[in-house]
Order: sequence, then C-alpha cells, then structure tokens
Amino acid sequence: MSLAHETLASLRRRLSSKEIHSRDIVKDLLTEIGAREKTVHAFTHIDEKASLAAAEKADPSLPLGGIPIALKDNLNALGDPCTCSSKILEGYRAPYDATAVARLRHAGAIFLGRTNMDEFAMGSSTENSALGVTRNPWDPTRIPGGSSGGSAAAVAGRLAIAALGSDTGGSIRQPAALCGCVGLKPTFGRISRYGLVAFASSLDQIGPLTRTVEDSAILLSALAGHDPRDNTTDLRKPETFLSKPEGSVKGLRVGLPKEYFLPGMNAETEAAIRSASQWFEKNGATLVEVSLPHTPAAIAVYYILATAEASANLARFDGVRYGRRAVDPKDLLDLYQRTRSEGFGPEVKRRIILGTFVLSQGYADAYYRKAQKVRGLLRQDFESAFTKCDLLLTPTSPEPAFPLGERTQDPLKMYLADVFTISTNLAGNGAISLPCGFTKSNLPIGLQLIGPRFGEEKILQAAHAYEQAHDFWKRMPPL
Amino acid sequence: METDAAAMSFSGNWEAVIGLEVHVQLRTRTKMFCGCVNQYGGAMNSQVCPVCLGLPGSLPVPNEEAIRKTILTGLMFGCRIAPVARFDRKNYFYPDMPKNYQISQFDDPLCAGGAVGLDPFLFPKDLQESDEAKARRSIRLTRIHLEEDVAKSFHYEERSGIDFNRAGTPLMEIVSEADLRTPGEAFAFLGSLRQVLLAGDVSDADMEKGQMRCDVNVSVRPVGQKEFGTKVELKNLNSISGVRRALVYEIARQIAAVEKGNAIQHETRRWDDEAGATFTMRTKEKAHDYRYFPEPDLLPVRTDQGLRSAAEKSVPELPAALQDRLMKENGVTAYQASVLAADRALCGYYEKAAAGTKHKAAVANWILNDFLATQPDPATTPIKPEYFGELATLVAEGGINSAQGKKVFAELMANPSSPKALVEKLGLAQISDAGALGVFCDEAIAANPRSVEDYRAGKSNAINALKGFVMKKSQGKANPTQVDEILKAKLSA
Amino acid sequence: MSAPKLNVADVAGLARLSLTPEETSKFTAQLSQILAHMETLGQIATGDVPEVVPPAQPALRPDLPCPSLPVDVVLSNAPAHNNDLILVPKIVE
Repeated sequence: MSLAHETLASLRRRLSSKEIHSRDIVKDLLTEIGAREKTVHAFTHIDEKASLAAAEKADPSLPLGGIPIALKDNLNALGDPCTCSSKILEGYRAPYDATAVARLRHAGAIFLGRTNMDEFAMGSSTENSALGVTRNPWDPTRIPGGSSGGSAAAVAGRLAIAALGSDTGGSIRQPAALCGCVGLKPTFGRISRYGLVAFASSLDQIGPLTRTVEDSAILLSALAGHDPRDNTTDLRKPETFLSKPEGSVKGLRVGLPKEYFLPGMNAETEAAIRSASQWFEKNGATLVEVSLPHTPAAIAVYYILATAEASANLARFDGVRYGRRAVDPKDLLDLYQRTRSEGFGPEVKRRIILGTFVLSQGYADAYYRKAQKVRGLLRQDFESAFTKCDLLLTPTSPEPAFPLGERTQDPLKMYLADVFTISTNLAGNGAISLPCGFTKSNLPIGLQLIGPRFGEEKILQAAHAYEQAHDFWKRMPPL
Repeated sequence: METDAAAMSFSGNWEAVIGLEVHVQLRTRTKMFCGCVNQYGGAMNSQVCPVCLGLPGSLPVPNEEAIRKTILTGLMFGCRIAPVARFDRKNYFYPDMPKNYQISQFDDPLCAGGAVGLDPFLFPKDLQESDEAKARRSIRLTRIHLEEDVAKSFHYEERSGIDFNRAGTPLMEIVSEADLRTPGEAFAFLGSLRQVLLAGDVSDADMEKGQMRCDVNVSVRPVGQKEFGTKVELKNLNSISGVRRALVYEIARQIAAVEKGNAIQHETRRWDDEAGATFTMRTKEKAHDYRYFPEPDLLPVRTDQGLRSAAEKSVPELPAALQDRLMKENGVTAYQASVLAADRALCGYYEKAAAGTKHKAAVANWILNDFLATQPDPATTPIKPEYFGELATLVAEGGINSAQGKKVFAELMANPSSPKALVEKLGLAQISDAGALGVFCDEAIAANPRSVEDYRAGKSNAINALKGFVMKKSQGKANPTQVDEILKAKLSA
Repeated sequence: MSAPKLNVADVAGLARLSLTPEETSKFTAQLSQILAHMETLGQIATGDVPEVVPPAQPALRPDLPCPSLPVDVVLSNAPAHNNDLILVPKIVE
C-alpha cells in the first residue's frame, strides 16, 4: 500500500523503527501527486528536489522526524514563496520562518508542497485564488471549500499526509468537512500567528488538517504554546494532547445549540448530524438543548470586524518593499493604486472596501464599534452555554460541497454559508470538524465539536472516541 | 531689540492662543515593537527586521522599557497614569510607513493631564526679566502617549529613497492644552519640557538632532473672547528658537489679516527659517480620516501590576525641586541653580564637590565661574570634585586668601592634585601667625610715615597703602583680615 | 442605523484602490446588499456588555537587541532599490 495512504501516527512509528525512510514517504506522495494533482490542483508550489533533499537529512528520533507536511501558502517559510494565492505577492521570498513552521522544523518535520487557498484567506471555496481553482477530490466538479481548500484537498486526496491551514471564519473546518478529513481550529492564542500572513488579526488561527483526530493532536502538541513574538498567545504551560485516549464519552454533556438546527436544513446533513448525536447519547453522553441567542447576528459582526481588520492588514501590500509593483508608476498615488488594483482580486477588493467603510468617519460607531459590542454578547453566549454542557455539537457546513462557479457572483450567499463556523472565531473558542457521514452522491458531511476556551483536550478526546467507533475516516475518495 | 509684542504688532486688542504637539524620541536600546537596535547613524537599512519592515505575517511586541519611560515621564509631569492602556492603529498610506498604519494610542493613552511649569531661566535671554517669565505659569498637558516612528526618506530628482532604520523606533507624543499665550512661553515650554526629560534620562530631546520635534497650533482672538479663533498648524520647526521666530511671524500675520477683516484659513503652514515666514503647504487632501481602531495584535497593558511602581522608583529630583534645594540648602543664586539644573552631569559634580564642605556657595562660584570656562567634561575630568570643596574651605577658613586661591586654581587646571598639596607646592601657605604679621606691620608703619600720619589724621583709606606694603612684603601670603586688625591696633596705640 | 451612504469610489480611494466603472457599479450593488443584511445589528441592545479583562501580566519585550536582517536580504524583495535605499517615485509634500 502506498505510504501516502497512511496516517501520520502510523508513519511515525514505522520511521522510528527504521522500517521505512522519509524519502520513501516523499516518493510515494510524489507518485500520487503525479497521478492526480493535475485534476485536483491542491498545490501552488512543489519543490521536489528540496523535499527529497530534506528527507535525506531527516532525523526519525525527533517527534515529527521525516514526516512531510504541506503548508498553506500564507505561512512564511524561510526562502520559499508565500503568495497567499495572490498576484500581489509574486516574487516574494520569505526571509524568515513563521513560528509554527519553525516549531515543525524543530520537531524534525520536512515540507512538501505549498497549498492553494482563497486569495488572502478570503473565501469559502478556494475559487478566489489567483493561481487557479482547487477541486474536491470526491467530485472534481465541486469546490473543496475554503479558504484552506488546497490543504484539505491534499490531505483528503492522499497528496499530503497532513497540512497546515488557517481559520478565520471556518477556513480549516469547512474545507475539512467538504473534503472528508479532520480540521482543527485551536482556541485563539493557542498557536502563534507570527509568520501567518494576517487576514483578521483577532480571528485568525493556524491549525492542522489531517486524516485522523490522533494526527491532529500530534500536530497541535508540536505547535501550541506561548510565543514571545506573538503578544496574543496564551501563557499557559505546554501540554501533550490526547496522550491517553479514553475512547469513551460517558458522562459527557453534549449541547445542541438550537440556532444551529433550523427547519429547512439540508436533509442529508441533518440526518448525519442527528445520527452522530444519537451515537453520543447511546454511549453515555447526555444531550442538552442550549441556546446561542445572538447567532443570527454573527455573520454581520464577522463581516464588519474581519473586513475592518483586513483593510488595515492588507494596506502594507503597496509595491514599495516587496511583491509586485505596477510598471512605470507616474507618481506615488499611481504606484499605490495601480499596484493594488492590478494585484488584488475582486473578493479582496470588495472586503477591503467594506472594511474601510465600516471604520470610516461617521460610520465607525454604527458599524465597527457596534459589532465589537455584539461580539462581546456572542462570547457571553458561549460562556453561558458551557455552564450547561462540556461540548457543543453542530454541523460544520449547512450543506455539502456545491458545484464550482455556483456562487461566485453572489458574495452574500457565499458569506451566509459560514454561519456554523463563524461564531467560534468571534468567541475565540476551539473547534474541530471530522467526517460523520456521506451523501447519496458520496460527498462528505462534517460534524463540528466546539469546546470551551482552551478545552482542546476535551474536544480531541470526544472526537477521537466518535471517530474510532466509525469507519468514515478510513474512506478515501476515488483515486 | 524689539520685543516679541512689538514685532507682532500687538495692538493690545488681540491675544494669541498656542498649543504644542511634541514628539520625543525615547532613549531605549531597541525599537518599540521589535528587537532591532534604536541607534542613530547605522548603515542604511541595516537595522531592520520583518516587524519594522512590515513584512507579511510580522507581529509587534511592545518594548517594556519604552512603556516604563513613558510612565516615568507622566509621573514627572504630574499626569494620571492609566491603569489599563491600549494601542490603536492609525491608518494612512505613506512610503515611510511600513504597514501603512502606525501603531499609536488613541482612546486609552498611558498618561493624561499633567502640566509643565515654565522655568523663568528657560525663557529667551532677552525675556528673562519680563513679566511673562516671572509669572512662572503652569501649562496644562492633555496627554502623553506612545507610538512608533516612521522611516526616513531622502529626496532626489525623480525618486525618493527610504531608509527603514528609524521605522519603529519609540516615540512619545506630548500634547499641551492651548494654554500658551506668547512665543516666549512656547520657547520656555520646550526648554522646561526638555530639562525634565533629561533629568529622567528619558531622551536627549535635542531638536536640532531631530530627537524632539514640535508642531504648533496657533490662533488669535480678541482679548476677552472665550471662543478660539481659527487655528493654523505650523510645521518644519527645527529648533526651539525657530519655534519662537515662527510664532512671532505667524501671530503677526494672523493679526494683520483679522484686523483687515480677512478670515484665517484653517490650514497647515510650513515655516521657512531662511525666509523668516510661513507658507501654505500644498494641501495634501481633505482632512485625514485615520479610521482609528484598537490594535488587535496587542493586549491591553496593565500598568498597576509593576510597571508603574518600577517607573515610580526612577522618578528623579525634578529641576524645580533641585533648584529650590540648592538655593535653600547650599545658598547658590537662582541663576546658578538654573545652570546646574540644566546640566545634570555638572550638577552631580558640584554636589560631590560641595558635600565635603560647608562653604557650598563658594564651591558653586569656583565651579560655575572659573571651572566651567575651561569647558570640562564632568564625567571624565581628572580634576576630582572634592578638590573644589577643599579649595573653598582653604580660602574661607584662612588657609589662603582669594588671590592665592586663584593661583591654586590655575595650578589645579594644569597639574590636577589636591589643593592642600598645591598650596604647599606653590609655597602659598597664608601667614596667619600674629607675631610674623606684626613684624610686617611694623615694617610697613616704619616705611610709610606719610600714610600713618594721614590715617591718624582721620583718612581711614590711608591704611590701604600700609596693607599693600604688607601684602607685597609677604608675597601675598598675609591674611588680610588679620593684617587689618593688627595695623589698626598698632596705629591707634 | 439608517441606509448608509456608501460611495464606493470614495472609499476605494481611501484604500488606494482604483476601480473600473464596472467594478464600481458591481461592488456598489453587492456591498449595498451586504450592508442591508447588517442593518439587524442596530436592533440588538448592547448596553451592558462586560469589558474583557486584560491579562494581569502582558508579555512585554525586554529592551534587549536582537539580530536584524542583513541588508541584502532586506533589499532582495524590494522592487526598486539603489545605494541600499528602497526607491519610490518622488514624495512631494
């Protein structure tokens, strides 16, 4: 069997026992990539030579020694491109490692491939990439989700063992759900953002996309922890997650937020989630109905705050110090305007304009400051819910993967699909998506478990128990 | 020289209202949000990292020392220190801004309120005796906050070149209320402000080196009116005296305009020191909409968990208190106190010198009148401060007289050594022995019968010739007070 | 919160974006729709939202120098540079 089909945990054991070598994994992955990448287009860059060279030098005695990992193309890795799937960062070579990348390097990991994404992480389908679309490995006429669509498609499509993505409003969890793999968004402040090209600073988090929950826990353990270079990282002591999987959900109180289960939901999604919640109940958990009453306001709050922060974060892309610069600017204003107008795609421009507007004089109070206050209420909703339950169980996405091109002209409809994931980023809690079923047309359906802040261990334990009691994680797309 | 008032054509009906916005470069080893060195004069773009270059993915982390120094500054000016301070993003595009937003403070600055006392000795020399100097007004501050500086640009024919070494260095912004009323006060404000900053080792604050930058807001209104007139912002002020000159010009310009019935444009004007006038700056665009919002990459800073107490420990003796103490306890003059307060190193030297003697005022005279003229560096001079204490004691307590003291001083400059030793070396020990002096006095009386007669006849000044004879005969070593006593005793016998 | 006056061209100017007329009208329509959705926020009572308590010990940076990037690395990504300065069209005050 191709090593590309194995889990990180399994490969780790086999590397450690010297049964296999890192180069064997890289070679098998490259074979899979050779066969299917043309269709899937999960990657923006692959450097075969560099990855093989790194594999030769790998040290399997390290926690991730010799494990190849794919990086979303918005993570700085020394010497490599970092395009964020945008034209404006053409030619940019990262002169430093993101902390997350450095920690993986330090743990012995090697890197194979930079993955495609919605430009600057703005999107839910990876159709906003300036470097071509990525296709869902389960059905190449459909989206893989976004913005970490490339990472999810690579992991699900067996073109990567594991990948890093980033999640601002669901960008790890939603593609994981649509591609049938595991995606974890840690609590805000768990993993350093230093070196992650910022979209929305108070919402972004780096997280792993993997085949299994165990793999996710391994990566989280390697990545988490305070970073003096990121003032928003939490100071608590590092821990190893899922070191003792309990495999039981007995006594767990599982909350079902009523605002996430509305009439008219996609029928197959609803059935899969219901079935999952029944599994929890049958296995000793108690189901509790809870309410997150400000959920209907979440999309508005998100698209005000995220775009506001993004409008400032993306101001630095001006052609002065790096990246693409407009040819022969006639003056400074021309330099700025043409560089940015030529360099950014329409979704990015749309969000920058919206974000600039909600901060502008005369409107900032009604939009930005109001949204900040409602965000506080959303946070309170979660805190209050977690006094009644240990975890929340919800669908990750209102529906399975839709066809490419279906929503590109309707941004509002695209935004509304983020409804189940967005609140978690606003509240800062951690959450995981894992497969819980398939539609009749063999499209994956994702289950989301949300935990209290810094409750990743609880999330991983419950997710692992559910996962191992089912076969969903073993299913592969038609390869 | 005409006074400012005359130059401004104060018809007596108008008053000027002035506020200052001062940016001060903090003395820290590193920049505000990254570990690049904060040092002037490095090779171009050699003090730059992903953070201060604004590379994608970089994040700021605040410099603890910069925060401490800002709190210290607030304490020195009597400000309220915010228990929780926050950073905000100030958004605008400019090539010297690596992120096209500046991390600054808007809603919750580190310090609010406070005041700067105008030191009379820090008014321009020609105004130190004026009423405005003597008034010792206190100018209120609005706030003091912390932000990052921008890069430096160099302009050529068709391009500009940018050096990011300065980008991200810590900058403290001090905003005054519109309490100033004259150019002289503005001059004194900057000097007084600077003196306190030096005392706290917060900044060298030298305007001509760009370590302190000042923008001015000035308007005029009829005396007695409550509402402010239209204010004009002045930029390109490169020295404290330049600020004064610019204000003299601008106030005159505004008064002339309003007296003619013309409206003052709300604008920014550039001071041209060579031309001696302000000019409308090319209006960039409509008033900036900075779209301030809280910096999401930085946690709020609590000052009540140790930062404030650390700053409190380093509050120095402030210039006003120092001057008071030196005058009261050491008996120095107000002027001398102001000179010492203005130069901490010299002041430290003086206090060491004065420590070992009770003749502290005399020590001040030696150091400020004589020593200072040699342009010494108090930190490195081989002339130990204790020498001056010794010298003052010798002269005051009769070891030598003041003329001899000057000789010792000269020798001290040339060959530093303890004055006692120098007195020996120069053979200058004053003669105080009554017997020896008596012999000299007898000689003088014998040699100057005419003067003796005149003195006995009532011309008391005649004794001076006799004294002079004694001093000459004793090679200047005779104790003049004793000589005077002995001569008088002998002459009245 | 009344219907906002979103002038896309003006706001784009603030963000240093120059839009084509087609982009301007398309964005105006799309953003108006999005902003209409946001009207709901105005009805939510936000009087008593508790302030988030900042952490007692923020992780501040000690004032100790760290190595900077080598100059050639700084310039390596710059689209235009000369004599170690990064070049832009002339800045006019």
